[in-house]
Amino acid sequence: MLELDLEVVRDGFALAVQLSLGPGPTALVGPNGAGKSTLLRAILGAVPVRRGRIVLDGHVLIDTNRGISVPTEERRVAWVPQEYALFPQLTVQENVAFGVPGPAGHARADALIGQLGLEALRSRRPGALSGGERQKVALARALATEPRALLLDEPLAALDADTREATRVLLAETLHRPAIPSLVVTHEMRDVLALAGPVVLLEAGRVRSTGTLDLFRTSPPSEFARRLVTRSVGGA
Amino acid sequence: MSSRAGARLLGLLPAAAAALMLVVLAVPLLALVLSTSPGDLVDGLRHPLAFSALRLSLLTTTTSLALTLLLGTPLAWWMARHPGPPERVAATIVQLPIVVPPAVSGLALLLAFGRRGLLGPALEQAGWALPFTTAAVVLAELFVSAPFYIQSAAATFRRLDEDLLWAARSLGAGPARRFFRVVLPLSRPGIVTGAALSWARALGEFGATLMFAGNLQGRTQTLPLAIYSALETDLRPAKALSILLVAVALAVLGILGRRTVLEAVRARA
Repeated sequence: MLELDLEVVRDGFALAVQLSLGPGPTALVGPNGAGKSTLLRAILGAVPVRRGRIVLDGHVLIDTNRGISVPTEERRVAWVPQEYALFPQLTVQENVAFGVPGPAGHARADALIGQLGLEALRSRRPGALSGGERQKVALARALATEPRALLLDEPLAALDADTREATRVLLAETLHRPAIPSLVVTHEMRDVLALAGPVVLLEAGRVRSTGTLDLFRTSPPSEFARRLVTRSVGGA
Repeated sequence: MSSRAGARLLGLLPAAAAALMLVVLAVPLLALVLSTSPGDLVDGLRHPLAFSALRLSLLTTTTSLALTLLLGTPLAWWMARHPGPPERVAATIVQLPIVVPPAVSGLALLLAFGRRGLLGPALEQAGWALPFTTAAVVLAELFVSAPFYIQSAAATFRRLDEDLLWAARSLGAGPARRFFRVVLPLSRPGIVTGAALSWARALGEFGATLMFAGNLQGRTQTLPLAIYSALETDLRPAKALSILLVAVALAVLGILGRRTVLEAVRARA
């Protein structure tokens, strides 16, 4: 369970979010500049929270009233940014095992490499991988640390259309497996459909609506939501 | 017709200027090599002046390079990560020794650490007298050479993708692990380049050392000072040591060139 009640002010932009995320993936949608990436970075600890609380599985990550701010490296919140941020000097195996030193960690890394079908690429460096392969490595690397929550910033945006279809299914399956909340930023209704979880609509730094996909479809809470839904209907 | 010929002559001017520039740069070093027979080289290197200078230069430049890496890396990191007015002041302080004439550096070092200098009395009370010691040579080399390393390292650190560091943190990596597993390997080309340039500058240090540390054989007489001293007595060690320094300079260029190419290949692999 990830509970958020926070305010972020950054370069004149204000983000104020109250949310509660259960296990499994939640889609985070909204127009450009709505604050989706900023919200992810605030949970990660890369953007300072001006006021509020973040509680993950009963562990307080941030509480500005009590002066608590757990450093990022101790939050157990895994993050997959848009360009994946793989370590270019390390092999696939070394990337996946980065956060889990020791034999037990390596075994776990190897298991994930197998699960995501990356065995043949173990000793390659990220520079020699396709976009879809990089995405899987980033996902494996994040999951290897057994995080308590997972943040994915447009995980499929950098992929070409064919790869995106294949990766989408794998991503949804992978995110449903561990019983941890994950927050997935996306611009695609297809992604929201595949993730099959709650949808959070963020607009201008505020949560406009949270709910199921059906609710989102039957009564779109905003013009952006209506266009998002009709675009996918037209395409599908 | 004559105007066309004039135009053609004018067109040749840039080429002539370029050739002249190259000649000016090449001839002195060529003269050095041509005037030194292999016998001269061997005799010169066997000269007592040469050995003690070589030993002292290796000792002092190794020490100053170690200090540069140890003290300069944190400074470069701070400068790269905290842009703003204090960083700009620091950047100016770092750049000055590169531009200031060596004689000025020597005088400044004397006025700071000399017996009657700014910090001299305090140092003397602590039992330290720097001027005209080997430590003074190291300090002079550090002063003139560290800026090359700091600038190169800071430029490399600035180019580092910050998301890589956040990714490392999200994977549980603390500051030491982030620095040694992510920052250092990714910054290696800039660090190696900076260290090589800085070491070469320290090895060639002359003016500030002469003024601040003097020219005492075995204690403060480094290779450039030995060349200067030998000029008055026997030209052979001067020529031999000069050729040695040119060879070292070529080796440094070789290291830099190969390293850059290597890194480029690796990045593409």
